[in-house]
Amino acid sequence: MSSSSTTGAISNNIAVLNRAAPYSGCTAQDSLDFIIAMSNFGQDINVFFSDDGIFQLLKEQNPVAITRKQFTKGLAALHFYDIENLYVCSKSLSDRNIDEDRLNIPVNLLPPQEFYALLKQHQHVVTF
Amino acid sequence: MNYSFEFNGTTINTDKAGYLLNMQDWQPELAPLLAQQENIKLTESHWEVVNFVRDFYLEYETSPAMRALVKAMAQTLGPDKGNSRYLFKLFPLGPAKQATKIAGLPKPAKCL
Amino acid sequence: MANIGILVMSSPSASQNASSALRLAQTIATSEHNLLGVFFYQDGVHNANQLQVSASNELNLYAAWTQLATIHACPLLVCVTAASKRGVLSQLDASENDSEHFNLSAPFQSVGLGELAQLIRNSDRLVQF
Repeated sequence: MSSSSTTGAISNNIAVLNRAAPYSGCTAQDSLDFIIAMSNFGQDINVFFSDDGIFQLLKEQNPVAITRKQFTKGLAALHFYDIENLYVCSKSLSDRNIDEDRLNIPVNLLPPQEFYALLKQHQHVVTF
Repeated sequence: MNYSFEFNGTTINTDKAGYLLNMQDWQPELAPLLAQQENIKLTESHWEVVNFVRDFYLEYETSPAMRALVKAMAQTLGPDKGNSRYLFKLFPLGPAKQATKIAGLPKPAKCL
Repeated sequence: MANIGILVMSSPSASQNASSALRLAQTIATSEHNLLGVFFYQDGVHNANQLQVSASNELNLYAAWTQLATIHACPLLVCVTAASKRGVLSQLDASENDSEHFNLSAPFQSVGLGELAQLIRNSDRLVQF
């Protein structure tokens, strides 16, 4: 069980924390559906990536080879849903030896302490 | 069950709701036919949205839901066209649904 | 008193999560707090499959969810897209997809993610399993 709420919430909004690699199951794809739906229904939502979730942001992806569609292209359209900021844990990147220039879209890199401090400011955190 | 229709001598497969199963089957000549099923007579304004939605899909692998369609259209074509009143006037049963169908794109997820 | 929503993303069999979710739901429903609803997403939609058979000396999770909904008037909401993808279909979903069979019935409801947005909006706390 993971608690998806925090105490001392300062705003009534939702954070989505993406920790899953893009093509291991359909977790990441369901997360993107969730994000778009919440935005469509007028919820304030911020999107975070850590752990294997950062693989969703890589430029080089060819999932067609394993009969998957490249749904991660949709992350580049999130600004049309008024989701302007994607927050990425810098340690998750460096742990995997990935430089920022290998990412497909501009992101806000944050060291772990700031990353989790920001996450904590949301009333609800939904983890995928 | 299979759903299909003949067009210029080829069989076009669709889903039950009439969306093309293979977006590669789409060609501009097919659009008026798909529009007819929606009781829409395509004008230049319709075409602008249809092409816009198709380009959006080709770039992002997903059709824009309403909120994104409005914002993206406003950015490219200006606020007169990037607003839901204008879009619903062209596609009364839902621009996201009807324009994607006419553009030969997959049926949008029901849960959105 | 707090308004609490529960989000279940785990199948009944793959982990203890779904059972834990049920136990929390039962506890909230009999406490001073208000259980607004349970939403099933991702593999959690398998909880809504009415064709689950369990041994008589083991917990019948499906029956327990049903009982929770009946006794406490707690909505059980299932994402239609996530469920259809995993073979959990209401009668309407089945007919729309030319399937002869369906396995999602009341008190479970096949709904869109807009219902989840609303549940979250109304919840002081959302607990995810």
